[in-house]
Amino acid sequence: MQKIEAIIQPSKLDAVKDALVEAGISGITIFEARGHGRQKGHTEFYRGREYAVDLLPKVKLELVVSDEMKDKAIEAIISVARTGRIGDGKIFVSRIDEAIRIRNDERGEIAL
Amino acid sequence: MPSGTARGVYEERMAEIRGSFESSGDGLQAAAARSALVDELVMQFWEQQLAANPKLGKGVAICAIGGFGRGQLFPYSDVDLMFSVEKDAQKLAKESIRSVSQSLWDCGLQLSFVARPPGECERLDAANPEFSLALLDLRWLGGDQDVFARLREKCVAKLRARDGKALGMELAKLTSERHAKFGDTLFHLEPNIKDCPGGLRDANVCQWLVGLRTGKNPQGVGDAAASSPSSEEFQEAVAFLAAVRCFLHYRHERDDNVLDWQAQDAAAKHRIGLQGSGRGSVDAAYWMRAYFRHARVIEKCLLREAEGAGLEVETPSTVRRIRVPEQAGFQIKAGVLELSETSGSGVDAAYEPDIVLAAFRAMAESGARLSQSSEERIANAIPRLSSNLEEGPGLWRQLSAILTGQRAGHALRAMHALGVLELILPEFHGIDALVIRDAYHRYTVDEHTFVLIDTLHGLKADPKKDVRKEVEEWRVKFGAILAELQNPGLLYLAAVLHDTGKGRVSENHAAESARLAQSVLSRLEMDGYDGGVVLRLIETHLEMSAAMRRDIFDAETVRAFVGKVQTHESLRMLTLFTYADIAAVHPDALTPWKAENLWRLYIAAANQLDRNVDEVRVHTRVSGGALGGWRKDEKITRVLSLVPGKEAAMEQFLEGFPERYVSTRSAETMRQHFEMTQRFAEDPFQMTFQHGATQSGSVSEITLVTQDRPRLFAGMAAALAAWGMNVVTADAFANQAGVVVDTFRFTDSFKTLELNESERDRFLSSVRDLVAGRASVEKLLSGRRRAKRRPPRVAAETKIEFDETASSHSTLLQVIAQDIPGLLRAISATLSERGYNVEVALVDTEGETAIDVFYLTTGGKRLTPAQEAELHQGLMEAIEANSR
Repeated sequence: MQKIEAIIQPSKLDAVKDALVEAGISGITIFEARGHGRQKGHTEFYRGREYAVDLLPKVKLELVVSDEMKDKAIEAIISVARTGRIGDGKIFVSRIDEAIRIRNDERGEIAL
Repeated sequence: MPSGTARGVYEERMAEIRGSFESSGDGLQAAAARSALVDELVMQFWEQQLAANPKLGKGVAICAIGGFGRGQLFPYSDVDLMFSVEKDAQKLAKESIRSVSQSLWDCGLQLSFVARPPGECERLDAANPEFSLALLDLRWLGGDQDVFARLREKCVAKLRARDGKALGMELAKLTSERHAKFGDTLFHLEPNIKDCPGGLRDANVCQWLVGLRTGKNPQGVGDAAASSPSSEEFQEAVAFLAAVRCFLHYRHERDDNVLDWQAQDAAAKHRIGLQGSGRGSVDAAYWMRAYFRHARVIEKCLLREAEGAGLEVETPSTVRRIRVPEQAGFQIKAGVLELSETSGSGVDAAYEPDIVLAAFRAMAESGARLSQSSEERIANAIPRLSSNLEEGPGLWRQLSAILTGQRAGHALRAMHALGVLELILPEFHGIDALVIRDAYHRYTVDEHTFVLIDTLHGLKADPKKDVRKEVEEWRVKFGAILAELQNPGLLYLAAVLHDTGKGRVSENHAAESARLAQSVLSRLEMDGYDGGVVLRLIETHLEMSAAMRRDIFDAETVRAFVGKVQTHESLRMLTLFTYADIAAVHPDALTPWKAENLWRLYIAAANQLDRNVDEVRVHTRVSGGALGGWRKDEKITRVLSLVPGKEAAMEQFLEGFPERYVSTRSAETMRQHFEMTQRFAEDPFQMTFQHGATQSGSVSEITLVTQDRPRLFAGMAAALAAWGMNVVTADAFANQAGVVVDTFRFTDSFKTLELNESERDRFLSSVRDLVAGRASVEKLLSGRRRAKRRPPRVAAETKIEFDETASSHSTLLQVIAQDIPGLLRAISATLSERGYNVEVALVDTEGETAIDVFYLTTGGKRLTPAQEAELHQGLMEAIEANSR
């Protein structure tokens, strides 16, 4: 099993959700996040007043999928979240040792 | 009987009770029948123990408490049982009690049992006040009658006598905490019909309060309201909720009292709780309104009983002390507002709309609540109030005063419950207790509106300790925008009306609400500018939320959004509205993340707002459509329809104006401006003047329509400065033919025009002479009185910026400075002295900061860098000189 964490632009959330569902993945956890990578913060001026934009709004998705679904999920995310500009986000993939469904103690991929 | 057999019998009898409920729909009867069945079962098991050990006949009484004590056991409710055991019988009874309990469990009952000596029941159990309250419903099932008599006549009677007051206070505290869990409102989309405000638990609280007041156990639901004329409606309400609770228990097959959407559909289909001879299913929305009506009755009864007992069952809030004039027709004592029996004119004060509305204003300002008798009198007076109510600006002043009171939501809820709000705004009736099903909202549409208004007022409140720091920080930040609004009443009016369109069948509720609002605005005779602000806010109330779902860092998203708001005042209002609208969906909906995104969009839009006004111009004939035909903007079509036979001339008039002009003026206002151009032959300086001194701090408006000529804008600004007027906003637009429309909105610093009506004509004639060059600006200014200036609360540094990218043919100048009377005159005089032409002017005030934007040309071209530098210097000097 693989855990996929994707940090994307908030405006792409609906499209990414739809793409994942289309790819057959429905279990997604969504977090409201703030951060920056190379995109860095900047200072804006608002009618004469300075306003620092240190961290930018992002959305973080977490999903755990079977090994064979990993590439399909990544492809689904990239296909709609990519604009080609700085700030499109990142995807992190890591291995998961075990999944347990609390309700009935099912374990492994069946619990996903 | 073995418990296995008993279970079979119990289930059989329960099936009969269910069958009976399904045919009669009588929930109270079903609850009573189950209670009687459990009585039998308990005693049957006890008799078995007694037969085996006759010594148990002495020293043990079996009692029902809580809901079981009241003889009301809903199909899956817990059974509260108490064994009152004398100390010397405890050892003997222990095993028998365990055995009875086991048998009852084996029958499938959810049993909560307690065994206590009678003496332990005579004091309030501070660690478990619920137990002491359950004792108020004590009922004898069997066993030793002497023990029961001692328990009831001595112990519980002592508890009532000694701790009755403390019990009442515990009851109020528990009720208040329970209500707080439900946001202190009964108007939930999926209410818990037992625990929500107005639910069955509140009906029980009424009964307990009556019991504590009278010193005896209320017998049956009617007792709770026996002393009230509304006892019948209370009983009906309890019967309705009892039927619904039975229905939910059978539907969910457990003690689950949440009336979810599917259950609402099913209840409506089976007409659960509905009286009368109607047949067939009813609409779920109709059925839910019946639910809310009954819940309101119970809530009202609870508040009345609590008020009678001097208890507070709502979340405590401070009632602010306010001064009420002696002749007001009402008084406020200990947080309760009481209407006078007779007004100055000798009739009941409840018949006088002015007094009733002033009373609601006082409630909005202070947070006081209406006394029960005043409520009843107002409710009965509605037909008389209806015929006595006068619409127009007076009504708007009163409504605005209510809406801007810090506790407006509280006053509006009371007005709504009594029918007074619908009297003023019948459009609100369509969303009364309306359930719109979506995954986000928690409250009915009317309650959502009131929570939204509470949220807006909450922006001004003192910091709260029990709120997360980051949420609190955003609240303070948005609160600063609220302080900058020129007329917050308009925002609140738009808030009241924004969802009224949901009560009609329409695909676009925002447009439908705006349509309904038009008739409200015309009844209130609101001026065109204010009315336009309200309508635009209602029409666009979803635009900012929609923009937040796109990339708010994308310039195109911001530009498209800005095209819909058009002015800073509208942007400020829409930002605040969106903040409050999200927060009013449910308590956790406005996360710091969303607040930050909203703030960023606000800033981006504010920065963008004045940047391309000169560039985007009206062209009355626009190519478009699939067939490449001619398409006219909808608003322009509307304007043209107002001038039959003169369409071509009107098109010519509109041609070349910045789009900002068309989008910020009503069709009727544009028609007036056009008609003014038709009278140029009589007088080339056409003016309209609207005096707004009907209330303190109100804004007057003067509009000049004429052919463009040098110094026009500067002349107007100078005339207003000379008369001591403080310009709040202004704009100046010109069309392709060189017709200018300059509009100034200003406050009357010295109340010159308010106190001397005759001066208004002299003022207008003076303005006319100045713009026509017939009088000297300098001469007029030399006689100007200077107001004694208070030091500013927030100092604003002067900043002057030029932007070459905003327009292809003009230079954008933005001046940010302390808002001091005469500032606009100083700036515009500096511009005109240099012969710079003002193509577009946009003047705005934010709190104590003036933000003035001008699009300038000289000889039809942009300013050169050298001209900009020289102008920068000149403006700095002029602003400095004006501030001295």
